[in-house]
Amino acid sequence: MRLLSLSWSHRSSPPAAREALACVPIERVLAELRARGVGEAVALSTCNRFELYAAGAPDAVKPAEKFVAFLEELAGASLAGAAEAREGREAARHLFAVAAGLDSLVLGESEILGQLKAAYEAAKSAGMTGKRLNVLFQRALYVGKRVRSETALGVGASSVPGVAVHLAQSIFGRLEDKSALVLGAGAMAELAAKHLAERGIGRLSVANRTWERAYALAARFQGEVVAWENFPAELERADVVVASTGAPRAVITRALVEDAARRRGGRSLFLIDIAMPRDVEESVHALDGVYLYRLEDLEALVARGLAQRAEAVAAARAVVEDKAAEFQAWASSLASGRELSLRHSAGTAAKTA
Amino acid sequence: MNAQTVLGWAAFGLYAAATFAAFGYLFSKDSRASRMMLALLVAGVVLHAAGFAARTAAFWAFPENRFFLPVSSYYGALSYMALALAGVFLAVEGRKRLGILGAFVLPWATLALGAAVAFARPDAGSLEPNLRSYWLNLHPLVLMTAYAALANAFGVGVALLVQERQIKSRKPGELCYRLPSLDELDALNGRVIAFALPLLLLGLGMGLIWSYRVWGSPWAAEPKEILALVTAGIYGIFLWLRYGAGQRGRRPVLVSMGGFVLLLATFFGAELMSGRHGYLGGR
Repeated sequence: MRLLSLSWSHRSSPPAAREALACVPIERVLAELRARGVGEAVALSTCNRFELYAAGAPDAVKPAEKFVAFLEELAGASLAGAAEAREGREAARHLFAVAAGLDSLVLGESEILGQLKAAYEAAKSAGMTGKRLNVLFQRALYVGKRVRSETALGVGASSVPGVAVHLAQSIFGRLEDKSALVLGAGAMAELAAKHLAERGIGRLSVANRTWERAYALAARFQGEVVAWENFPAELERADVVVASTGAPRAVITRALVEDAARRRGGRSLFLIDIAMPRDVEESVHALDGVYLYRLEDLEALVARGLAQRAEAVAAARAVVEDKAAEFQAWASSLASGRELSLRHSAGTAAKTA
Repeated sequence: MNAQTVLGWAAFGLYAAATFAAFGYLFSKDSRASRMMLALLVAGVVLHAAGFAARTAAFWAFPENRFFLPVSSYYGALSYMALALAGVFLAVEGRKRLGILGAFVLPWATLALGAAVAFARPDAGSLEPNLRSYWLNLHPLVLMTAYAALANAFGVGVALLVQERQIKSRKPGELCYRLPSLDELDALNGRVIAFALPLLLLGLGMGLIWSYRVWGSPWAAEPKEILALVTAGIYGIFLWLRYGAGQRGRRPVLVSMGGFVLLLATFFGAELMSGRHGYLGGR
């Protein structure tokens, strides 16, 4: 059999080409292909990529240039230079890598799996898939699920704010009903406020020595402003505190935290100190239910997360490689008339109907 | 070997396998292990329930035993406790993210059923006339349900201490992201104990009523009774700390875990010293 794939992705092609392709509904692509006598084809269209897979008997699949010309006609734009064409095992490997999230902007994200499934189902209901593409796409979905369940791809955070939010979730679970206090209004404070707001923190307040700057920062993220003198009282309400002031000595002292803890009803307090010199007295970490993380603690976690991610990518690539070779062996067995059976790990044979 | 023995051993095997799968999931990150654990556990519970039904049928072959449940013997109590443990686990923690708590809870179900099938003899005989009372038949049933819930709470408590240690260490590992959050574990521990303590008191109360009817005095001040009362007191202190005094996290959880240790002492240890409750003596 012959398998051909064409891709325009965020890695390889300029946005203009992808934009033009994104405007063409895949139903139309499939209908036009059928009108031109193409037997088996699947089209995948997302914000980051456009891909076309075609398969058939060796002489039934047209060369890549024909498909590119056809898509240029549909999209009304020049696409040739930006296209990546793959054949056979390369094409299968690429599809499996896409399914695994290895080709995504956010490594290992799982949305692509749903998009892939939708694209396959659209082609299937249009009657554009036969045995070859059915097996190929079912294998791709299987590889995508398997990589996510067996490797740590897409797990863990790889930035300081990401790690901090992860920790907050390990302490509090949902952040929607929690409140955060940001001390300081500099660049780091702003970054922290932005991440907390993005992750859906329930309530955000900002305290800064200069009231105007606190106000400006709070306004940007629908937060509240707390007068600097009142921030100790705010320690009683806040669950997450990010300290990033330019103060020469610690502003959150052990005495302040002990005092607040007495009125917190046992709720945990997560303090993040990203100021230099330090904003929070180190000894508060020894208090029950108080967790103080300093910048270097978070950085160490980021470094470890990155190392684990590299390992996970290698493991995911190995699965993709292995399954692409297996698919290739199956595809060549079709010609010989003695078809191999493909098995999922659970022992269920892939549908070969 | 009869059907109930075979089913008991088979359920034990499945619980043990589910426990292995639970530890597999704890130390690897393979979510298939978690699904396998749940599947094995459900199969174990089904066989265990079938075994319990078979045993009840054999028990009812003695007309005077009808319609009491075979829970008044050591075997019956342990076996029922294991079933309730697995059942409570499936109901409370079997949901997706809490499957990881299997490693903290399932060992108890496995141990309880293992102790039953390996060391205690099934109660195939006629129920002693003294024990033919619905109060007394419900007494172990209610208590074992409370024990099962408290063993679940203990598992949750262990998980909480592990999670707390992870976060306090400033070097949380993979485990930290896969365990439920501190707040969730804390709430779960509190809720399960708040559910179990009234049951525990109810079960003890039933014992007192029966004792009063048969012996004319509700309280014999024997070791098992005293220990049981102290245990209930400690769980009471926990609930007061957690919901009354506004403490959370490590300290109240340690108190509740102390309660569980006493619970084990009550159930296993007091055997040796207790007259009325001497399962091993066959009374």
